[in-house]
Amino acid sequence: MEYSAAQLKTSRQQLITLFTDGLNTKSFPEENTALIDQYFQDSLPESHVGRTLLQQGIPFAFIALGGYGRRELCLHSDIDTLLLFGKKVPSQAKTLVQEILFPLWDLGLDLGYGTRTIKDCLRIAKIDFEVLTSLLDARFIGGEYPLYLDLIEKLYKKVVTKKARDLHRWLAEQDKKRLETFGDSSYLLEPNLKEGIGGLRDYHHMLWLAKASFGPRETHEQAFRARLSYQEYQDLRQHVSFLLNIRNHLHLRSLRKNDRLTFEDQEEIANRLGLRDKKTSLAAEQFNELVHATMAALKSLSRSFIGGLFATKKKRSKIRQMPLVPRGLVVDGGELCFDTVRTIIKNPSLLMIIFEHGALLGYALSLEARRIIREFLYLVDDSFRRSKTIINSFIKIVTQSNCAFETLSQMMEIGFLDSFIPEFGRIHNRVEFDAYHIYPVGIHSLQTIRYLKSLTEEKDILLRDLFVELQHPERLFLAGLFHDIGKIGSDHARRGTKITKNILKRFGLTDDAIEDICFLVRSHLLLAETATRRDLNDEKVIVQCARMIGSLERLKLLYLLTWADSRATGPKAWNDWIANLISELFFKVLHIMESKELATQDALSRVEHVKAEVHKKVGPIIERQDLENSFELMPPRYLLNTHPRKIVQHLGMAESLKAKKQANETKSGGHAGDEVFIFESREDKKGNCWEITIVAIDRPGLFANMAGVLALNAINILSADIYTWRDGTAVDVLRTTNPLDGLFVQEKWAKVKEDLKNVLAGRLSLESSVGNEETPRSPTGLKKLARKPTVIVDNESSDFFTIIEVYSHDHVVLLYRITHTLFDLGLDIHSARIAAAADQVVDVFYVRDLEGQKIEDVGRVKEIKRILLKQLKPL
Amino acid sequence: MKKIEAIIKPFKLEEVKDGLSRMGVKGMTVTEVKGFGRQRGHKEVYRGAEYQVDFVPKVKIEVILDSKLVPQAIALIQEKARTGKIGDGKIFVIPVEEVVRIRTGETGKEAI
Repeated sequence: MEYSAAQLKTSRQQLITLFTDGLNTKSFPEENTALIDQYFQDSLPESHVGRTLLQQGIPFAFIALGGYGRRELCLHSDIDTLLLFGKKVPSQAKTLVQEILFPLWDLGLDLGYGTRTIKDCLRIAKIDFEVLTSLLDARFIGGEYPLYLDLIEKLYKKVVTKKARDLHRWLAEQDKKRLETFGDSSYLLEPNLKEGIGGLRDYHHMLWLAKASFGPRETHEQAFRARLSYQEYQDLRQHVSFLLNIRNHLHLRSLRKNDRLTFEDQEEIANRLGLRDKKTSLAAEQFNELVHATMAALKSLSRSFIGGLFATKKKRSKIRQMPLVPRGLVVDGGELCFDTVRTIIKNPSLLMIIFEHGALLGYALSLEARRIIREFLYLVDDSFRRSKTIINSFIKIVTQSNCAFETLSQMMEIGFLDSFIPEFGRIHNRVEFDAYHIYPVGIHSLQTIRYLKSLTEEKDILLRDLFVELQHPERLFLAGLFHDIGKIGSDHARRGTKITKNILKRFGLTDDAIEDICFLVRSHLLLAETATRRDLNDEKVIVQCARMIGSLERLKLLYLLTWADSRATGPKAWNDWIANLISELFFKVLHIMESKELATQDALSRVEHVKAEVHKKVGPIIERQDLENSFELMPPRYLLNTHPRKIVQHLGMAESLKAKKQANETKSGGHAGDEVFIFESREDKKGNCWEITIVAIDRPGLFANMAGVLALNAINILSADIYTWRDGTAVDVLRTTNPLDGLFVQEKWAKVKEDLKNVLAGRLSLESSVGNEETPRSPTGLKKLARKPTVIVDNESSDFFTIIEVYSHDHVVLLYRITHTLFDLGLDIHSARIAAAADQVVDVFYVRDLEGQKIEDVGRVKEIKRILLKQLKPL
Repeated sequence: MKKIEAIIKPFKLEEVKDGLSRMGVKGMTVTEVKGFGRQRGHKEVYRGAEYQVDFVPKVKIEVILDSKLVPQAIALIQEKARTGKIGDGKIFVIPVEEVVRIRTGETGKEAI
């Protein structure tokens, strides 16, 4: 025995060396099996016990079971053997096992064995299908051949023929368990090569059922040839050999039996198979595509092979079927098939019609139908792809059928989808090599459609409501199908838009529909990216998002697509956490759109116009990029309501402010004086008033101080627009009446400026200086019946600010009193519009508290109203 | 050794992470979390139906550091994660008794 074991060890080592050198990759499992066989054949004649048993006329046989029986031994596969006896297990059996099998353990092989009589085998096989299936793989290695034949004959006669249907059912249950435990490997990114759906197990199931239904054939080939075409059988052999090869690499790499192909393994095995990184895809990604394609094909072959076996023939109810199925198709046992092959050649559109009716009726295609379609794929040519009726059938499947996912999956499996939409073929098996995406692109696109189809039954009522409200749900489904079609390199959304446009033009959709769908493809990452990467409390972010989306219908479409796309990507792409962020963004964009102020088409074009005008004016002075950066700082309302000429002026003032601040900092040794400001005044002759502009570093109370200084100098504010840029620059434009002293106007403004400087530096207290005289702000002088002052606190109109509207009659210190009160209340004025008409003032303030939050506490709102109203009482 | 736990706004994660790695922090644990502090959830109404948002999504980062580096790390997180608005988050510093690297058995600073 020792000699044979030593021999086995050396030859195994040689075999492994050959494999690592890549010389026998295909034949390794068979050669490995042959080595073990050789060991038995060498060691049996040397066995003392063996010889004794023969002399005593006690027959025995060594039989290979399971993978060893199938000649599929990978490097660390279990080696299952059976020591078979006729009627009784003799006492010497134990010694025989010791002699023959123990040396294999010593070599470190994973050996399993059983010592049984034929009767034992049959008895156990009847109740335990694990044992039955391993016996179906039985193969004679050594000993008495007739004993082996006896076992096989009885096994088929007494067990297999009686239990075939039970076995079929049991295997179907196993499939379910496999799906639960290991998942569908033809989708998963870390597939289990053996137990996963699409794994080697699928092939084993085919094999067992083939044997169970066709009897004990010596070779696999004969069993399969009964139900597979020549090409299908060749494909099957190739897929199995490919998977075994990878599995062997995996065993070699992990130094143990292992079937799960992890990310690290994929990279290395890809290199071993000679795949190299390319511009468009990594070696590991190419490898993954290969594995998935193989496993998907194996899954498809085994499903159709097994599906047809033991099919219970349903009685045909001709009356019900006749009107449903068009000519050229038949329904058999709940499956659709072609009537005759000839009709397809005459009418190739049947290739699509069969899918269309499958989708509408919820019927699967029969194995035969799938085979026929595969063979007739050459009929799917340019004219087929451009045929109006065929395209309409396809669109109907995608947009109207509840079985769209199932039907499209079948199309993909058969290769029909890739032929009909060649653009799809390029991404079908494409894999993102990361832990985030768990499905290849093709199946991910179909999963997206599956989620979209489930929207009508979605538990989240918002999603369901939005879906029901859609004017064009069909656009959503087509966008779902095509959203990732550009995944053949970077920037897939933009690339995909172009590809989608071509496809949809070929489909002959209306321009309106094409635009919507292309928009969805182009922007399908917008919501998810904005929600996770940008500050949702920044109004500008939301406004830009709203402008890019453009319409309510598109917002709804995009939100639903984002949801379905994320769900279909995998658990890491969608959870409560992300859902919260995206729905917050959704609602904020929705509110901006519904307010019809900042994000309308009109607003968008006006802002673009303003930007262009500003650029024209400052083009030679300011770099384009710097200007763009400055635009980024300006709040949406400012850009919308400010004349380009003024913006240029403000840009200049902001520049001076920066310089002045810097100068101050150097002077005072690093300590920045926040009281710096730039003040400009000019006469508006046409309006018979003055316009003063103050640019300063924003701080709470700034506006109150300005209003106070003007009141101190008895200058009335007619209107004001105040804004805060995003970098904290306050830009305030005030229109005032002419100073009372018309002769020394410049001196007056100089005094105003000086006063403001002192107030901001804390050297002058407005509280004590501003009188309470009730000089009317408007110059009419006539006091009409005062309207009762009103304060409205509005938290609905904006997601970012509390809006306080003050209606009151007018007098000169009023604005100071209001703004000062707001300051005392701890409110920061972000922007404001002050407008006086006759003796009635309407002041609108966009405020937040000092922490940047809206004021939503009911008690606090009441308090604000109360205190403001107290200030507004006529004195 | 100390553990710094910081709860920050999700969109600030990249900046904080880059800042910390530039500072020489070798590893960190990042968790997507939800909760509320002074910034509460809110209610959304769409076509009459209400959608309650109880918790605010945040990101929690955890870093184990040599005590000497703590002030610098705190300053950095504060600088990077600040927007000046409510909900910028909090930083907690917790003493760590021992660190063991499982693979090698190294302990203390070596294991960070």
